[in-house]
Amino acid sequence: MKDKIGIILGIGIAVVILVTLYFYLVNAGNIDLTEIISIGIVLILVGSAFYILLDRIKNIKRGLPAQDERLKITNYKACYYGFIASIWSAVGAPLISGILFGYELEGYYVTAIVVLCGGLAFMISYLYMAWKGNLE
Amino acid sequence: MKTKIKELRARYDLTQEDLARRVGARRETILFIEKGKYNPSLKLAHDIAKVLQTTIDELFIFEEE
Repeated sequence: MKDKIGIILGIGIAVVILVTLYFYLVNAGNIDLTEIISIGIVLILVGSAFYILLDRIKNIKRGLPAQDERLKITNYKACYYGFIASIWSAVGAPLISGILFGYELEGYYVTAIVVLCGGLAFMISYLYMAWKGNLE
Repeated sequence: MKTKIKELRARYDLTQEDLARRVGARRETILFIEKGKYNPSLKLAHDIAKVLQTTIDELFIFEEE
């Protein structure tokens, strides 16, 4: 039951993100390169989330658990990598932007970079470890 | 770490999915344990050994590093 609620919530959140993106794109007008990259990362994250959710649904249908001890460990490790990526991007993005481009990043840009970098690091490491095994 | 899970599964005519279902794990977890790409918890190792009617000592072969 807990797994099913998690899957329904996950699908709901992913659909809400897609609908929000749709309305944003319809009303945005001109979209610059940074926005295209951000939207691309969001789409990769949502696509990966759908893949993980479908995999869990498939397992539940077969009578297997949606998540077992290996995936829980994978989840914790991926969260750690996402956290590290968030911290480094919070420190690194304003520095790189200032030193290389001579441009001071606005606070909301830094927030967006932190969220997207953390999310991307989490998703890449989660999928990699789930696919390759996570031997210590 | 090597395991005898594959041999014992064959003896009892169990697929990876059958074993996974009986120990409450995912099929990929059994696959990774067999390949030596995941070290299971003591509880999971115990459950697998119980289903395959053996002991943890006989199921897993630890190699000195």
